[in-house]
Order: sequence, then C-alpha cells, then structure tokens
Amino acid sequence: MARQYELNDASVVVVIGSGAGGGTLSNELAQKGIDVVCLEAGSRLTLADVVNHPPTMDARMGWHDKRIGMAPWICKTVGGTTMRWSGATPRFQEHELKALTTYGQFDGGTTLIDWPMTLDELAPYYDKAEDKMGVSGTHGIPPSAETNNYKVLAAGGKRIGYKEITSSRMAINPQARNGRPGCQQISFCNSGCAIGAKWSTLYTEIPAAELTAHFELRTQSMAVKINHDDSGRVSGVVYRDADGTLHEQKARAVAVAGNVVETTRILLNSNSSRFPDGLGNSTGHVGRNYTRHMFGAAIAKMPKPVNYHRGARQTGIIFDEQYHDPERGFAGGYELQSIALDPWGTSSSIGGWGPDHTVFTDNYTHLAGIFITGEDPPESVNRISLHATERDENDLPVPVIEYRDHPNSLAMREHSLKQSRALFESLGATHFWGGDAPVGCHNMGVARMSANPRDGVANRWGQAHDIDNLFISDGSAFPTSAAGNPTLTIVALAIRQADHIAERMTQKTL
Amino acid sequence: MQEEQTTRRRFIVAALAFSGVAAPLGSTWLKSAAAWAADDDAGLDELGRMAQLLFPHEGLDDRVYGGIMSTVMETTTDDQATQAMLDAAANTLDAARETSWLDLGAEEQFAVLQELQDQPFFAGIRETVRFHLYYHPDLWKHIDYPGSSKEFGGYIRRGFNDIAWLPEDE
Repeated sequence: MARQYELNDASVVVVIGSGAGGGTLSNELAQKGIDVVCLEAGSRLTLADVVNHPPTMDARMGWHDKRIGMAPWICKTVGGTTMRWSGATPRFQEHELKALTTYGQFDGGTTLIDWPMTLDELAPYYDKAEDKMGVSGTHGIPPSAETNNYKVLAAGGKRIGYKEITSSRMAINPQARNGRPGCQQISFCNSGCAIGAKWSTLYTEIPAAELTAHFELRTQSMAVKINHDDSGRVSGVVYRDADGTLHEQKARAVAVAGNVVETTRILLNSNSSRFPDGLGNSTGHVGRNYTRHMFGAAIAKMPKPVNYHRGARQTGIIFDEQYHDPERGFAGGYELQSIALDPWGTSSSIGGWGPDHTVFTDNYTHLAGIFITGEDPPESVNRISLHATERDENDLPVPVIEYRDHPNSLAMREHSLKQSRALFESLGATHFWGGDAPVGCHNMGVARMSANPRDGVANRWGQAHDIDNLFISDGSAFPTSAAGNPTLTIVALAIRQADHIAERMTQKTL
Repeated sequence: MQEEQTTRRRFIVAALAFSGVAAPLGSTWLKSAAAWAADDDAGLDELGRMAQLLFPHEGLDDRVYGGIMSTVMETTTDDQATQAMLDAAANTLDAARETSWLDLGAEEQFAVLQELQDQPFFAGIRETVRFHLYYHPDLWKHIDYPGSSKEFGGYIRRGFNDIAWLPEDE
C-alpha cells in the first residue's frame, strides 16, 4: 500500500499536482517502480462529498487564491481539474501540430511554433490515454448515449451540411468498465461526477499508484519553490502543509503540473542567484504564450422542449470546421460541442438583464446549447507574471493574468456563432444568443515545448531546456493550443513523458 | 467568495455584439410590466422591485425577489462594500426622477434602470440577484428545473433522450 518517504530521501521524483498531468505521470512512474511523492495543494474528496450543487462544489474544490486579472476556472483538490472537466477528449490533428508551417505567423505578433513531435509519434500515446480514460467510441468502448441536447446538435448540424458528428469521444463510461460504473446522465459533470463514471485521477490514477507501493500522495501540500544544487540541477521542493509549516522534500527529479497559473508561479518564484529570472526561464518564455482557446457559446430557444439539463453536460462534437482554410477569414479551425448549463450558468452565459434575457431563462426547458472551442494563437503579451509587491495569504507573490483575444479569434468566433445560429434556426429556433465564453477552463502554453531552446521552456519530452531533471507535465507544455479540449493530450504527453523518464533513469542519465 | 465568483465568471456583456436576440421586446415587456405594477401593493421594496425588473419571470411570486434582497441585506451587514452598493442603488434610483423610483410607473422604472445600467453599483446588484435567483428553489420550480438528480439515479431512465419533435432527416 501507499508508502511514506522521508523528506531527505533524494531518490524520489516529486510531482507537483495530482490532476490530468500530475496524477497520470505519478501513476505511470509508480507502475514502472519509480518512487514518487505527489504534492497536492488541495484536500482529498470522496464521491460521497460530491453533491449536485455547483456553488457548494466550487467552494469544496475550486481554486480561490488571489489572482489579478481573470483567473482560470480550475481546481485545488486531489484530481485537480479532472474533477471539474466535462470529459470531451478529441485528438489534436496533424495540421495543428504544425501550426507555424500550416498557418504562418498571424498579423500582430503571434508566436506560433510547430510542435517538436509529429502526430504519428503521439498516436500510440493517444491510444494508451484513450484506453486508460475509457474514451467512448474508441478501443472497443461503445459510443456515448445520445442526449436530447446532442440530438439537437446533430439534427441541426446535418441540416446545415455537417457530416463529422459524434456523440462519442467522451471520457465518461457509456457502460461499466474497469471498476467504474456507466454514466447515469446525472448532468452535474462540472461539480464532480457523483458516481465516478467520468474519468478523474481522484479515483483512477491516484489509487492505482497507491497500490504499487512506489507512491505517496501528500494532500494540502502547496508547493511554493523548487530548490537547486550547486550544479544547477533541481534538488527538492519546498511546500507548505495544512498548518502553514514549510518543508523541503528532496528529489531526484521534479515534474511541475500545477495548471498554468501555479506552474508559472512556482517556476518564477524559484529564482536564485544562478537563475535570477526563475527556473527554465533563461530565454524569458516562462509565463508567456498563454493560450486559452477561442471560446464561444450559443444558446437557443427551440420551438419545443429539449430539457438540456437531463444528461451529461457535454455529449457531442462536430468536427467539420476543424480544418485550415483562410477563405473563411481566419486561420485554424474549431469544434462545435453540445453543452448544457444549469439555470445560473445559462443566465451568466447570456449575461445582460431584463425581458430580452428572461425570454431565455423563463423558457429553460426549451433551450439547447453549443460550446465552441477553437485554435488560439500564442502571443507573447498573453502571459502570467508575478506581482512585484503584492503577496497572498500564503506569502506568495500574487499572479497577474493578462489575456486578450487575437483578431483571428474574434473572426473565428463570429464565424462559429453564425454557424451555430444557422444550425439552431434550421430546426425552428425562435431566439438565439451567441457570444464569448471567457471561463478559462482550457489552459496551455506558459512553459512550452520547443525544438529550439530559443522558442520555449522545454524539449520534446517536456524536459526543461535549462535543467535536465526538471519537467513540465501539464498543459503548460503545449507549444500551441490546437482546437480541441486539452485533457486527452495532457494525459497522452504524461504517459509519454513517464516512458522518457524511466528510460533516462535506466540509462543512468537522469 | 460571492464577489470572486462574480468576477471570475464575468461573462462579458460586449459579447452581445454577436447577439441574435430577436424577441418582440415591446409587447412582452408592456404586458408584463403592467402585471407587476398591479402587484406593487404586495409591498416589494425598492431593491426587491429592482431585482424583479432585472430578471422578470411573470407569475413568479414577488416574495422571491423581495426575499432575495432581504437575505442579501441581512447576510452582509458587516460587508461594507455590499452595503455601500445597496445604498448606492437606492439613492441613485431615487435621484433619477423628481418622484421616488418606487412610485414611478413600470415603464419609467425600467427606463431608469436602463439609464443607470453602466453605473458601478448596477453590475454588482445584477450579478448578486442573478446568483441568488437562479439558485432559488422557487425559481427552479417556476421554470421546471428539478435541481439535484443523483438521488433519483440521474436521468438515464427519466428522459435524457426523450426528445421526439426533431425532423427525421436521412
């Protein structure tokens, strides 16, 4: 069963974060017999703690530390944002991994690069990730059931000429598998799945790692700084425990998977005389090239009831617009995904007030919804940095988050909303709202992989260019955003990174 | 926490630039407004009435709106920022016309709100009301939203796929 390691045991790999990246990497390493200490800032919930009430669950698992600027919608809890995610797991596409080659730089100072790997290299890891997560419609797993909201998406999509439409590619069990039950269409996926049908590392990777006897999870252990030795290699992680006491866990290697804000903060906050700008930051890229995806949302009042609250939150994807054709007025592509929101989520998305607002909310049973996620070009000015003087309750510098939509994203959003409107109107929708959806639930790019050290923070394995025993293991490592939801790719990269770490250790080069 | 949520999920009103809202606002509004005006005797105070005009659900009991604002006032007595916001709302509404805002007709009340919608207090009240109203059990009942479903086994046997009016295209 679960091990306990001494603080001065320098043989362990310390993984910071227990979500899609950190939880997966921890388990993959532990399965190979590599000792891991996983530091998780949040506490460990059980399924019994999950209630169908979003504000309650946001208080239990949301990340509420002080930020300046619009903070991403992420979690401080064991399982990280895999507790909150919707479960959509499309693969990235070949042209997206060659973003610079395919699109060229956009006007206005984008910082696109190609991924330092091909889709062929990534494909076997996508296979492993899909199998691990139980992605519907792959590896012999049945397709997802078609909810009412999906049926609207699919019927309207067909009417306006779309062909690549699926209810699948969801990491939600359509039927019982690997000790987890099938989806009961509860509808509160974003508050944590109350039965564990949706994949989360809380009840998959973490307990699997604990069974190996090569893994220790330390909860309420907030990593604040990574130390290094005289040779410039990382040597330990300082963390704050539930009582506020600081400890240092010695380490053979350190993997950072705190989601973009904390990954940036930890790297920048670990500055020293040798690394005055923080770890991995000799070329100044840490915190920069922050991408969130071009997000959009569309809600329509349909002629008859849909009852979109019945069933999983997201249950369908249209892929037809995920290609590159500058004729549409923008580079890159997007996916249309069905989404259902509770009354408050519906109201918040639509925004505004008055009778032109309540014509939607008063007809809640007749609403259908689309969530749009599209390629978002990296820009140096979209960044996370640390405030020079302001410190938070943990005495850490407060992160400053700066993000703007590139004109390419605005053009893409306009196109996607026009398509969404046509889709709904083809079925007789009487009212349509479409707009931005600035929730910040897809977070990428602040410590990106690059073939050339000049262009990023880490190499093709997520290993810092500057420090060979420091790894980036979350969405922060993405060179560009592609169009689809990031979690599947985070998991695939974590599995791949674990192979690399194990191989390097076997070769005694780590 | 409340303010944090509001800030964090501040869905941008500018997004309405993309809006395709085509509601026949005038007629819906006037009819409803008259109905609420007749309800004034029920005794909604200024903030309760503002809440009602922000998110008008015809047929929803006035007391839901009044109750929300009473709850907000009572639970934030130590919260200076919220109290200042509530005071600013009442004072600004009343200063808008010669007559106190509550004594104005429904159309005029609405017009005043439109004039004031860019004032700092307005977004705060709007988002506070939005949160409390759309998590209110009576509102849920009014719009046929049942809330928590896990104790009923979700919707897998309760209509998650029962839509029957969609066209049967090939």
